[in-house]
Amino acid sequence: MSGWEAFSPDTLRSEAKAVAGRLNPVLLHFVEDCVGCALCEVNCPYTPAGEEYGPVEKAEPLRRIVRGQVFLAAKALPWLFGARLPRSAEELDRWAELAYRCTNCGLCYTTCPFGIHSGTMIQHLRYFLARTGRIPTLLKMMMDLEASGNVLSVEGFSKVWSELLGKLEGLGVSFDRKGAKYVYLPSLAEALITPGALVGTAKILNKLGLDWTMPGKPLSVRAPIANLAGDSGAALEVTRRIVDYVAGIGASTVVLSDGGYPYRFLRFDAPALLGKPLGFEVVHIVELLHEALRKGSLKLREVDQKITWHSPCQLGRMGGLIEEPVEVLSSTSKNFVKLESHGLLSKCCGGGNAIACVVPPTIEMFEGLLGGKIPISEKEKVFLDKLYKDMLIASKAKVDEIRKSGASTVITACVGCVHTLQLASKAHGLGVEIKTLPEYIAELLPE
Amino acid sequence: MDIFELAIYILPPYVVALFAFGVAYRVSRYIFMFRRVPVRRRQRPASKLLAGLVKTFLDPLIIGARKRKSDFIGGLILLHILGVIPLIFLLGQHVAMFSYWFPPYSVLRPLSIPSSATSPALTLTAPLKPASEMSWTFVESVWGPLTVILNGDLLAVLAMLGVSYKIGDKLWRAYRRVGHVRLGDFAALLLLLAILVTGFLATHHLPSGDIVTYRFVLGTHILLAEVLVAVLPFTKFWHFVFGYWYGKLHEWYDLKYRRGAL
Repeated sequence: MSGWEAFSPDTLRSEAKAVAGRLNPVLLHFVEDCVGCALCEVNCPYTPAGEEYGPVEKAEPLRRIVRGQVFLAAKALPWLFGARLPRSAEELDRWAELAYRCTNCGLCYTTCPFGIHSGTMIQHLRYFLARTGRIPTLLKMMMDLEASGNVLSVEGFSKVWSELLGKLEGLGVSFDRKGAKYVYLPSLAEALITPGALVGTAKILNKLGLDWTMPGKPLSVRAPIANLAGDSGAALEVTRRIVDYVAGIGASTVVLSDGGYPYRFLRFDAPALLGKPLGFEVVHIVELLHEALRKGSLKLREVDQKITWHSPCQLGRMGGLIEEPVEVLSSTSKNFVKLESHGLLSKCCGGGNAIACVVPPTIEMFEGLLGGKIPISEKEKVFLDKLYKDMLIASKAKVDEIRKSGASTVITACVGCVHTLQLASKAHGLGVEIKTLPEYIAELLPE
Repeated sequence: MDIFELAIYILPPYVVALFAFGVAYRVSRYIFMFRRVPVRRRQRPASKLLAGLVKTFLDPLIIGARKRKSDFIGGLILLHILGVIPLIFLLGQHVAMFSYWFPPYSVLRPLSIPSSATSPALTLTAPLKPASEMSWTFVESVWGPLTVILNGDLLAVLAMLGVSYKIGDKLWRAYRRVGHVRLGDFAALLLLLAILVTGFLATHHLPSGDIVTYRFVLGTHILLAEVLVAVLPFTKFWHFVFGYWYGKLHEWYDLKYRRGAL
């Protein structure tokens, strides 16, 4: 029986206890202080796909789990206080459907009158679901691959990485060099989906004259991919591996080109997970560019191209770098335009938090790399087909915003955003070029 | 002993004790679970952080006004801003009551709102001055022409409309089988509505002016208000005392102070 078919009341009860054990003051506030006003619905990218996908509704299963474990009154009268676990496999499927309609973009957080981040609760719900038999097969495969410690054990991945390594060697990059001050930390996902970002970042770091190195093989599929399934135990293992590697090099700073959740995770979440500082700073390449341009130590060539910036939620809203990328890009083109929603409430692309990573077109891409079919049950296939349909609905608002801007090129800095926007652009006939920030900037570096 | 006597003379200490226990219980969980997070914050100018703090509280109001007008008007303006907040804290009768229990509260007496737009008398029987040093029969309103709006009658009606809107909204969602609507939502809203209705009736000596009915209606109003205070730390009413303030301050601290998302 595949995982997607499993249903065991005993497992549900024991995993509910495990979820309750993860409570902290902030999560407790998220769980117990919602009044159900449902204002969060208005900005969630998934509400257009169905009212039932509003954040308050998606977080309700997690509340049901926690209430039944923590609150005395709810234990005594579960029917009155909304505290019960799924009674059937179908109900558990329904919970999974809700949990995988959340990009963890944080828009609900800033919209909620009570500062409740439903995305955080949904990550904990995903943890519960993964432990009770509901996790997309491709995500599970990538988690297992990452946990194995050798993400290049798959021949297709190894081939892509080797080709990329050849290009980087041509740029004079040294790998695993001890004593370097900066470590550039790309992931396998970047190599597969946005290889130009790696080459671009290497060119930028060289031009900035930094003493840098990078791992000869990726340390993760994408930061800890387990984080997307809410599995903090597995994420902790990978984090330790990264921390040990950087400590072994002796670097003081880690540079990232992926401005998706890896940036947010390593910059803000990893120290909390480890329970101590990482021992090095974590910066995104845009921070180095911003600083160099501000100091005047770097001048970029200007172009006339009409460009715009899609702010990845984990770099902007949840990572704090909202205006820095805009200032960098403005210096490269007089025709730079901000998207209408740019700022703290910037619209989400609709595919983050592993959604775009598990939909059918991505599975086909991975099957090509793996050289065989990924074993997905009929039930999961139905789940994924519907997810893809809803993802395209969720991405429509972003596509419309880009179209309205009139830009011919969209710059962004997140693997997930690039992949989602490519899929959405094709589906909605947007017809723009989508580039990563390092790729775009590298083309404008002075000779 | 009638309900009035029970509510006025017997229950208050028990209500306060329950409320205090509830507050201590809920707040202590946050304190005991607290763990320091070793994250280095992003440096941002203090002036921008301050502006960010104001925006953190304003953003949901602006979003609500733009994207969910019915809830903004029914839930926020009618129920909260024009309804229960001025009614609870500034209605003349309430200022007198709070001042009795907590004398420094009388500092708000000049801001008291009369129960009627046409009369500054606290109740129909206001000319009968109670035999007390703290007796107070009239509201010397500082609100001038604003009294047309800031009077107990109108505010109570607006608040009742606001609560009714929220009940209707919840019923509509329950009808569509939305999962987050629970029985507790209706219990809280119906309790609030009952307090507003009995308060309005008591002020107007309705349904009849005889003393027994008046004592029963006013006693019921006070008793229900005491129930609200006693259950407040255990229900959604907690948002007013803690959830709202903690939530928005935490959001500001997390997103703007720590991550620098300005």
